[in-house]
Amino acid sequence: MESINLNHLFPTKTSNFTKDEIFDVAVVGAGVVGCAIFKEFCEQGAKTVLVEKANDILDGASKGNSAILHTGFDAPPDTLEHKCVQRGYEEYMKIKDDYNLPFLNTKALVVAWNDEQLGKLDAILQKGLGNGVKELDLLTHEQIIKREPNLSLDAKGAILVHGESLIDPWSAPLAYVKKGINCGGKIAFSHEVKDGHYNGKYWELQTSQKPINAKVIINAAGLYGDIVDKIKGTQDFKIIPRKGQFVIFDETAYNLINSIILPVPTKRTKGVVITKTAFGNILVGPTAEDQESRTDSQTVKETLEDLKNKAFHMLPALKNHKVTATFAGLRPASDEAYYRVSINDEKNWITAGGIRSTGLTSSLGLAKHIFELHDTRYEKSPKADEKVTVPNISEFAPRDNQKEGYGKIVCHCECVTEREIKNACHGELGAGNVGGLKRRTRAMMGRCQGFNCEAAVTQICKNEVKNHE
Amino acid sequence: MNNIQIAIIGAGPAGLSAALELKKLGYDDLLVFDREDEAGGTPRHCGHLGFGMFEFKRVLSGPDYAKKLAKLAIDSGVNIKLKSTLTKVENGVLTFSTPEGIKQYKPTCTLFALGARETPRPDRLVSGTRSPNIITTGTLQRFAYLQKIKPFNKAVIIGSEIVSFSAIMSAKHAGIKIEAIIEEKDEIDSFCVIKYMVKYLLKIPVLTNTKLKNINGEDKKVTSVSVSTDEGEREIPCDGVIFTGQFIPESSIMQKSFDDFNFSNNSLYISQNFQAKDDGFFVAGNALRGALAAFKCYFEGKKVAKNIHDFIRFKHQPELIKIEADENISWYYPSMIDLKSPTKQHLTALRLKKRAKGAIKVLLNGRMIYKKNIHAFPFMSINIPWKDIELKPQDVIKLEFVNN
Ligand SMILES: Cc1cc2nc3c(=O)[nH]c(=O)nc-3n(C[C@H](O)[C@H](O)[C@H](O)COP(=O)(O)OP(=O)(O)OC[C@H]3O[C@@H](n4cnc5c(N)ncnc54)[C@H](O)[C@@H]3O)c2cc1C
Ligand SMILES: Cc1cc2nc3c(=O)[nH]c(=O)nc-3n(C[C@H](O)[C@H](O)[C@H](O)COP(=O)(O)OP(=O)(O)OC[C@H]3O[C@@H](n4cnc5c(N)ncnc54)[C@H](O)[C@@H]3O)c2cc1C
Repeated sequence: MESINLNHLFPTKTSNFTKDEIFDVAVVGAGVVGCAIFKEFCEQGAKTVLVEKANDILDGASKGNSAILHTGFDAPPDTLEHKCVQRGYEEYMKIKDDYNLPFLNTKALVVAWNDEQLGKLDAILQKGLGNGVKELDLLTHEQIIKREPNLSLDAKGAILVHGESLIDPWSAPLAYVKKGINCGGKIAFSHEVKDGHYNGKYWELQTSQKPINAKVIINAAGLYGDIVDKIKGTQDFKIIPRKGQFVIFDETAYNLINSIILPVPTKRTKGVVITKTAFGNILVGPTAEDQESRTDSQTVKETLEDLKNKAFHMLPALKNHKVTATFAGLRPASDEAYYRVSINDEKNWITAGGIRSTGLTSSLGLAKHIFELHDTRYEKSPKADEKVTVPNISEFAPRDNQKEGYGKIVCHCECVTEREIKNACHGELGAGNVGGLKRRTRAMMGRCQGFNCEAAVTQICKNEVKNHE
Repeated sequence: MNNIQIAIIGAGPAGLSAALELKKLGYDDLLVFDREDEAGGTPRHCGHLGFGMFEFKRVLSGPDYAKKLAKLAIDSGVNIKLKSTLTKVENGVLTFSTPEGIKQYKPTCTLFALGARETPRPDRLVSGTRSPNIITTGTLQRFAYLQKIKPFNKAVIIGSEIVSFSAIMSAKHAGIKIEAIIEEKDEIDSFCVIKYMVKYLLKIPVLTNTKLKNINGEDKKVTSVSVSTDEGEREIPCDGVIFTGQFIPESSIMQKSFDDFNFSNNSLYISQNFQAKDDGFFVAGNALRGALAAFKCYFEGKKVAKNIHDFIRFKHQPELIKIEADENISWYYPSMIDLKSPTKQHLTALRLKKRAKGAIKVLLNGRMIYKKNIHAFPFMSINIPWKDIELKPQDVIKLEFVNN
C-alpha cells in the first residue's frame, strides 16, 4: 500500500529564467485578469513575466464563477467596468475560434417574479440601451413561457438580452497564458511576491523563491490586490472578499432551460442566476456574502438549501434532478463598487484591482486598456499572430472521447479520457495541483464525484509525474 | 450502425448472469458492453469476502467473484465489449464512445444493468471545505484494492448502512484508522449485530443521533469534522471523510433519454417482467432501485433473461399501468403492472426511507384497497400481496405510508 495524496502529487514548477534577468513587465497574479494582461504585453513585444504564488493558474477568484460572457447591459454606465466588459466581449469573439475556445449564445432573460420587479424592467431596459446594448426585448408572460416552458408560471415579464452567452471559464485563461508563453513570456509559479523595492530604474521584487526584477509592475493579485499594492508605498483600496456559493445540478437537467435566467438586480448583487454551463450542467447561484477571509470558500448547508429552494421555485422541474457539485467562489470586491485600476507613473506601478464580478468577461478588454495606460512602444512579438490552441473540454464542441485512440475513458460521468488526463499532467502549463487537473480535464467533477475514477486518476497522475521527472 | 438482437449494458452480476442465461437459451446475436476495461462490475473492487454463497455455494471475495462470473461468460462464448461507454439512447439506437471511435447499435432488445453508486457529498449538501479526501466507500475500495493506494491516514465514516461495514474493512486493508461512524438517525441503518461487531470487536465508536455539521480544514485539506448531538458540538480530528450508502441507480443516461422517468426509484418504470414502457427495453440489478446484494442482482439477471426470451419469442406487447409512491418510500419494485402477464404473488415490494411505525396503504383510483400496519427498518423489504382484484388499463395505483 503506497501513501499518495492527490493534493501533493504535483511537483513544484520551476521557472526558466535567472534572478539577474530584468523584465520589462512583471504581472503579479495568474487569475483571469493577470493571464489576459500577460498575453497582451507578450503579444505587444514586452519582455514579460507572470508571477503567481500558487503552483498553477486560476487559484484565486477565477476558479469559481458563473462563466457568463456579459454584454454589460446592466453595468454601471460610463465606468471602466462598462467599457472593459464590452471591449472584453468583443475581443473574446475575435479570438475564440483561433484558440479553440467554446461559446454558446444562450441569451438571457431578466425575469420579474412580482409586480415590484415588473415595474423595474423598463428602467433596466433603458439602462441597457444607454449602455449601448441594442438587442433587448421586453417579453410578456406568454412569451416567456413559450421560450422557457419549464419556468414557473409566476414569471410576470422579462427582458430578453440577446448577447448574453456562456464560455468555459478555465480554458480561456489557459489559452491566454499559452499565447503569452508562445510570444516569449515567462512564468514563475509558486513565487509569492512578498515585498519590493524600486531603485529608480526597475523594481526588485522579493518572492518566496528567487527575486524578480522588472521595470514595470502590474498588480493583478485579485483577492490580495490591496496587500500587494502596499508594496508601492501607498494603499488606495481595501479588498472585501464576497463569497458566492453555487449548486450544480446533474447533466440530466441541462435541457430544462434555454436561456440564462437572471433576476431583477438589487443593489448588492445580480442575485441568483440559473444557467447552463459549458460542461453540460445547470448552475444555480451565486450568493453574495461579504467576509474577512480571503481563503475561506467553505459551503454552508443552509445557504445551499436556500439556493436550491429558490431555484425550485423558479424552475420546478429541477426538483427531480440530483446535485452534482457544490462550491463557492470569492469575488475580489473592494470598499468601492468599481474597478480599482490606477497607474503610478513615478514608480511604474499599475494596479488592476477590485475586479469583482465581471472579470471573466472584461479581462481581455481590461488588458488592452492597461496596455494603453502604460503607453510604451515595444516591437510587436513576431509570434503575435501565430495560432495557439487549447483542448476543448466543453460540451459545445466535439470532445476528446469523440476522437479515436484515447486509451480509455477514466472519468465516466464527465467522459474524460486517459489521454486527456495524461496530457494535462505535462509541460510548463500542465496541472500544478488537483484543482488544476480538474479545470483542465473535468475529471472527478461529475455526479459520482470520484466514486468510479478518483483512484484511477491518482494512479495515472502518479505515473505521469514519475515518468517526466 | 449495427443491427443486433440483444444488447446488455453493464457487465456486473446482473448483466453477466442475464447474458449467460440468454446464451443458454440459444441467443448468439448478443453483446455485453461495459465502460470499464475489465468485466465483473462493482464486485471487482469489493476486496473483502461476502460473495458467491448462493450462486456458487462458496464464499468468495468480490474480485474473485467478478473474475469467476466474467470467466463463465467468456467461456460460454458471450461477447463482451469493454471500454464502451453508452453515451446516448435515441430512437432505439445506442451510441457508444470507444477508443476506436463512436459506435452505434440498433438492438431489438436492450437490457440496462448499469448498477448503482453511493450518494457523494454534494447531493447531501454538507457544510465545509472541499477536498479530494472526501470520498465514498466505492472510491476507498478502488484506492485500496485496485490501485493499492492509501489516500489518507485517519477518517470518519458517515452513515451506517451495511456498506459502512465494507468501508471499515477496506480502510483496515489500506491501513487507515477509523475514528468513528457517524449516524444521524437514532440507531444504525443495518442489522444490530453489525453494531456490536463494530463497537466491541473492532472497537470503533458508533455515534448515533449525531449530525455531521461541518468538514473543517483549509482549501483542499481536511483537518477534522464537527459533529453535533443533543449534548452539544465536538470536533473529531481526521484527514479523510468517507460517505457511505444512499445508493442511487447509475441512471442519468436513462433519465436523459426517456420521457417517462420514475423519480422515486431514480430509474425507469419497470413491470414485473423487468420491462420498460418503451419497446424492447429492460432494466435489472441495482440499476432498478439502488443497492441490493450481488447475489440478488445475479438471480434477477437470470429472471430478466427469461423475460427477454419471452419478449422475443412471443413479441409480447405488454399492457401497462403505473404504480406511484409517496416520499416516505425509498424504492419499490415493480413500478408498473403488466396486465397481460400472468399474475404474480406480489403486487410490489417496497422499502422505507427511515425506520418507522405506521400503516402502508395501497390506493386504487384513490380508494384504499389494502392496508397493513408495519414497523419497518429501511433495509427490510415489505411485500404487498397481490389482491385478487380486476385491474383495468386506466387504473392508477398509489403506495402511501402514514406514520402512527
Ligand atoms: C461567484 C462568482 C461569480 C462570478 N461570475 C462571473 C461571470 O459570470 N462572468 C464574469 O465575467 N465574471 C464573473 N465573476 C468574476 C470573475 O471571476 C472575477 O472578476 C475574476 O476572477 C477576478 O480575477 P482576478 O484575476 O482579478 O483575481 P484572482 O483570480 O483572484 O487572481 C489573482 C491571483 O493572484 C495570485 N496572488 C495573490 N497574491 C499574490 C502574491 N503576493 N504573489 C503572487 N501571486 C499572488 C493569486 O494566487 C491569484 O491566482 C464571478 C466571480 C465570482 C466569485
Ligand atoms: C462498497 C460496496 C460494497 C459491497 N459489498 C457487497 C458484499 O459484500 N456482498 C454483496 O453481495 N454485495 C456487495 N455490494 C453490492 C454489489 O456489488 C452489487 O449489488 C452488485 O455489484 C450489483 O450488480 P449490478 O450488475 O446490478 O451492477 P454493477 O456490479 O455495479 O455493474 C454495473 C456495470 O455497468 C457498467 N456501466 C454503468 N454505466 C455504463 C454505461 N453508461 N456504459 C457502459 N457500461 C456502464 C459499470 O461499469 C459496471 O461494470 C457492495 C457494493 C458496494 C458499492
